[in-house]
Amino acid sequence: MNPGVVAAITRKDVVDAVRNRYLLTALITPLFLAVLFRVLLPGPNPRNLLTIVVHDSANSTVVAALRQAPEMSVVDAPSADATASEVQKRKAVGGLVVPANFDADVIARKQPQLTVYINNGKTVFEQAAFRRLLDQHVKAAVKQPEPVRLVWIDVDKSATEQSGVAGGLAQMLLPLLLIMTLGMIGAMVVPLLLVEEKEKRTLDFLLASPASLKEIVTGKALTGVVYTVLIAGVLLFVNRQFVGNWLWTSLTILLGLVFVVAIGLFLGSILNNTMQVNTWSSSVLLALLAPSFPSLGLPAVLDTAMRFVPTYYLSEALKLSLSGHGFSRIWGHLTVVLVCTAIAFAASAWALHRRH
Amino acid sequence: MNAIEVEKLSRTFNGLKAVDNISFSVEAGEIFGFLGHNGAGKTTTIRMLSGQLLPTSGRAHVAGCDVITEQRRLKPLIGVVSEHQNLYERMSGRENLEFAVRLYGQDVRRVNETLKQVDLVDRAKDNVRTYSNGMKQRLLIARALLHRPQIIFLDEPTRGLDPVVGREIRRLILDLSQQGVTIFLTTHYMEEADHLCGRVAFLSDGRMVALDTPKNLKVAHGHNSVNVTLENGESLTIDLNDHDAGKQLEQLVSAGQVRTLHTAEATLEEVFIRMAGRELSQ
Repeated sequence: MNPGVVAAITRKDVVDAVRNRYLLTALITPLFLAVLFRVLLPGPNPRNLLTIVVHDSANSTVVAALRQAPEMSVVDAPSADATASEVQKRKAVGGLVVPANFDADVIARKQPQLTVYINNGKTVFEQAAFRRLLDQHVKAAVKQPEPVRLVWIDVDKSATEQSGVAGGLAQMLLPLLLIMTLGMIGAMVVPLLLVEEKEKRTLDFLLASPASLKEIVTGKALTGVVYTVLIAGVLLFVNRQFVGNWLWTSLTILLGLVFVVAIGLFLGSILNNTMQVNTWSSSVLLALLAPSFPSLGLPAVLDTAMRFVPTYYLSEALKLSLSGHGFSRIWGHLTVVLVCTAIAFAASAWALHRRH
Repeated sequence: MNAIEVEKLSRTFNGLKAVDNISFSVEAGEIFGFLGHNGAGKTTTIRMLSGQLLPTSGRAHVAGCDVITEQRRLKPLIGVVSEHQNLYERMSGRENLEFAVRLYGQDVRRVNETLKQVDLVDRAKDNVRTYSNGMKQRLLIARALLHRPQIIFLDEPTRGLDPVVGREIRRLILDLSQQGVTIFLTTHYMEEADHLCGRVAFLSDGRMVALDTPKNLKVAHGHNSVNVTLENGESLTIDLNDHDAGKQLEQLVSAGQVRTLHTAEATLEEVFIRMAGRELSQ
């Protein structure tokens, strides 16, 4: 492998990509959305995004875990009956009533009931964030598949959505925008870089030059890396107050980047022209993005289906690392992504070898 | 020493023989014409000789390198001008050449020299998509010359160009040959091959059907006769095999009746049709 040749190809592609309107659109879309939401929905309180009211007479492990969560601010309610009114009074996203003997009932696998109040006056994104975080923390604190029965109660059914509180929104959006960046690179940028060389026959020139196929492909992959690092870097910098764990957020993005580059190389190998890339990239992008959308009461079947998409695990790992969690919480998700990356690379190597 | 040596080279695609057992050699500094109809196997041969495609069987050495096992050593020694104008159209002419210079690990200053050589200095900063066909063709040749190759493969370099630009390209090819560069040229234009090439090979359906100098081919397959146009406008053909042909010609010339006199040798195209059994355009 000649680093000079690889660098020449990457340099050429980095410059040439921004002159291609289609690629430029793909590259700046996540940045544009990030800036748009930052302008339209400035967040007043970037940390302790979700305030919840809790009545927990039993000092349960679940509430202890919630108190530790960096994305939540927990306020105590004087009684179970006062919880709903406290939610409204404090403009919290929700409330939680934990019954006595909760921990003992969980250990005995009695599936105790947790009553959850949800404030309809908050944005759907905040509500979704609350639902997801609560679900995650309950499952993490009580290591059983279905440890409790959650009973959801709306605090104010007539309330309309309020916009202007962007903390939860931003927290939900950042993983989405990061996955969108990765998706754009994997589904559009890298395949187009390869396909255009085939379509315009410039690949013949490259293959007649000292560049080997391996160096050409590496150059294209590195172009994807350069753009992802740039865009993801800007996204993280703009939303830096939402990054709880920089190390693991960065590592998760890097792993996701390797995964999407492998997907891009595979697509670029099997597709022959720009038209085919345009046709397929939207579907692939949608599939990659779907798991990172906030789950707003999706049917269980769809929710389960999402778990078959590798970006579901990438998205979960990102949400956790952005929330400040580290290796102990995200290693499982990253392992799934790692395995999928290996499979994607094997597939792209096979496709490239077959085409050559 | 031969610049190119090809021995029983074949290439098969899905059972179809694109190139079938061809053998030839090209001397260093020679302009070698490789002629054939569409799909005859010319481009496939170039792709094999330039290390872009592996042969199914046979051997070839280009610039002393085995095209199968020594591709990495071979590529800096050759230049290829594709039949397609495969330039990066969103980039300027200069950027195209700078990219090529980096691939070949050459000095960027070489770009200016080459731009001058093909007379593109004034338009070097413009996007290639604004170039005419002739300019693109000159840029393609410039790109192939950047690293000073020993051998250059030109695949239909004058196709679709107007006569003036075609003549410029032919002049460039002759200049390169005078500088000692070996030229492997494929073309549809028989007159061009006749004018430029020291030797030509005819390829038909992947097989080589002839290999010689254009002159020898024309003589071997021409008519042994002369066409005479008389002052009164009448035309006649005199077969030189007739025993009184010399006397007949002498009488016409001494009587001052001859306006023009041409040997009736075949054109290269006629020779090709005779040998390949089809026309070049087929």
